[in-house]
Amino acid sequence: MYGWAGQRLRVDLSKGDIIKEPLSYEYRKKWIGGRGFNSDIIYNEVPPEMSPFDPRTRVCFGMGPLSGTAAPSTGRVTVSCKSPLTGGFGDSNMGGHWGAEVKYAGYDQIVVQGKAKKPVYIWIDDDKVEVRDASHIWGKFPRDADTIIKEELKDEDIHIVLIGPAGENLVRFACVFNDVYRAAGRTGTGAVIGSKNLKAIAVRGSGGVKIANPKEFFEICNRLRQKFKDDPMKIGLNTYGSLVLINFANRDGWFPWKNFQGGATPLANNMSGETHSKTVLKHREGCFACPICCGRFTEIKEGRWAGEYFGGPEYEHAVPTGPRVGIIEDANDIWHNARLTNDLGMDGIETGAVISTAMEWYQRGLISAKDTGGLDLEWGNEEVVDQLIQDIAYRQGFGDILAEGGDRAADKLGLGDKGHYYTITTRGMSLPGDDPRGLGFGYGLSFAVGTRGGCDHLRSLCCLELSGALYPGLNTKYLGDERPAKPTTTVGKPYMVYYEENQKAVTDCLNVCCFTTHWSYAVLTQDQLDYFNTCTGLDMTLDEFLEVGERVYNLERAYWARLMSGAREDVVPERFTKEPMPQGVEYQTNVGATLPIGEMLPKYFKYRDYEPGTGFPSERKLKQLGLEYVADDLKSLRKKYMSEAEKKKKKYYY
Amino acid sequence: MAVMTKQQAKKFAEMSDFFIDLLNLLKEKGIINNKEHRLFLLTGYEKLVEHLEKNKVISSKAAKDAMKNGFTSLVFSLAR
Repeated sequence: MYGWAGQRLRVDLSKGDIIKEPLSYEYRKKWIGGRGFNSDIIYNEVPPEMSPFDPRTRVCFGMGPLSGTAAPSTGRVTVSCKSPLTGGFGDSNMGGHWGAEVKYAGYDQIVVQGKAKKPVYIWIDDDKVEVRDASHIWGKFPRDADTIIKEELKDEDIHIVLIGPAGENLVRFACVFNDVYRAAGRTGTGAVIGSKNLKAIAVRGSGGVKIANPKEFFEICNRLRQKFKDDPMKIGLNTYGSLVLINFANRDGWFPWKNFQGGATPLANNMSGETHSKTVLKHREGCFACPICCGRFTEIKEGRWAGEYFGGPEYEHAVPTGPRVGIIEDANDIWHNARLTNDLGMDGIETGAVISTAMEWYQRGLISAKDTGGLDLEWGNEEVVDQLIQDIAYRQGFGDILAEGGDRAADKLGLGDKGHYYTITTRGMSLPGDDPRGLGFGYGLSFAVGTRGGCDHLRSLCCLELSGALYPGLNTKYLGDERPAKPTTTVGKPYMVYYEENQKAVTDCLNVCCFTTHWSYAVLTQDQLDYFNTCTGLDMTLDEFLEVGERVYNLERAYWARLMSGAREDVVPERFTKEPMPQGVEYQTNVGATLPIGEMLPKYFKYRDYEPGTGFPSERKLKQLGLEYVADDLKSLRKKYMSEAEKKKKKYYY
Repeated sequence: MAVMTKQQAKKFAEMSDFFIDLLNLLKEKGIINNKEHRLFLLTGYEKLVEHLEKNKVISSKAAKDAMKNGFTSLVFSLAR
């Protein structure tokens, strides 16, 4: 067998079973790997009505056929579960080296189910798999637990997936790391892992990945690596990390200032990649086989946080507990907050989102110091942000309410629709640090329809509008038109989102970093197909390849449909459609913009072949994709969704 | 023979998102079949232009122009 290891490792923590399951040729071809394998397991083995914390629920770690090979940036891992934040389909994706190591140990996917009686970690040493006591590392920060496990196993070169205290405390947006600092941040996968009393999975693999046509495969890899040398996005990401976006975001008005009340601020450069690299950048570090190397390490040198050291931050990690909560004057506060969410093991996006939401409730008089346990939630109050991050992770005081996520917190506080207006969520998940009134209307559309909660920049990752202008001719190649490269237009966006969603899904099945295939377009879809075919020995055509992405996307959409979530829930936070973008800086390009979501949705539904009314994937589409059993599952639900009783329900989460 | 009228081409050129409508029209006119409709929807504009050129629905020059100037050029070629 080429590319794939050919087996899934399943660990049942209740029964103590360790099972190795072969993955058939047909199965591998149907789902490719990573997100595809995981989505299939979640759809078929985790009923929508099951609690995300039920011991029977699954958490899946998926690798792709290219993981562990020399193809550019093949170090990603997809982690999937039923999300405790949204109650719907959830997954997240991380870089690092762990995924490659799992492949070398001989597995394409790890599925964990059941619940251990006491804290444990899983130790995978090639064929040998054991469940070990983790009582002594329970409560530890990932960085400390990582060191202890490596000492215990007497091997500092092993790679470990870990959760932090927030995951142990079932914070609904806890995340999971590998190599200490590479996070699968979103949808609360860390809390599901914590609910199983699982602290870590340590891996040592001594095998390799067999390549079907090595000569051709390495020629392709070398050619693609050459392309990165002069690639404009690679240069920006390598030099400044994803913080390179800060000044662009501020200019184009998508900087998340005070929970998106504004899109720009005069002091944004304080936290730009340019400033970061001059002041606190310790060193750069790339993931497995990555020619971009966007990762960085930060060491704070001055002020009250001097001496703090950590891996990161990225743009999306830094802005939520920075400008989104009104902190911009002293960037060291922002780096400190990012360090703290890392050590405690929480999604930086959701943490900043829920704190900024609470700040806006406070600003508008919906809550007072009486609700917050005396905390003064003024914008930019670093003492309070620092305190709240810790209180959320340990579920103390007001932090215990915020640990539930914005929409559940709004309900717990009895804030009604007004409270939900400021949570800036779709299907229970918060928008990342990207205001669609400036970032782009394609992104705005994908925020409404994303299949791991809405408000998700990584489902379509429609960089044809973000970085398309840097690659002249690219929009025409795929969409037939260069005009969609302009972010604030609806022109060509429905097809752009459809195309990019399928493309991104197949990228996640391969578990290749999207910075090589979307932000940067050094690796095009045809290149991906070429390295996939030469690696695996398959002879897939371009449409068959992209159809896998479409299959995965529709399966995930169907999971939401089973929760009675469809067309009525395809919305963006009302702020973006109702409030024109105010002016934050003189040079801002999107003053007055709102998001015309209604202009794009009907056409997008046509591309997807979603059923009018329900917005569920049509029976015809599901059958076309070989998902007849899914079509059967949805049969009776279509009528139910259109019933008056369902129409009356307000669904902020599931 | 023209695949569409000049009036239709003009209407396409004014659309903010044209691709699925163009594919539908080409299918209706028998220029592409169901399978090809699906293939081009998945793979995008360039593959459609290549197909139209290969099947002599448009000339090589028109195909080149369609890739250089985008779909407006293509629909007016199809109206010729």
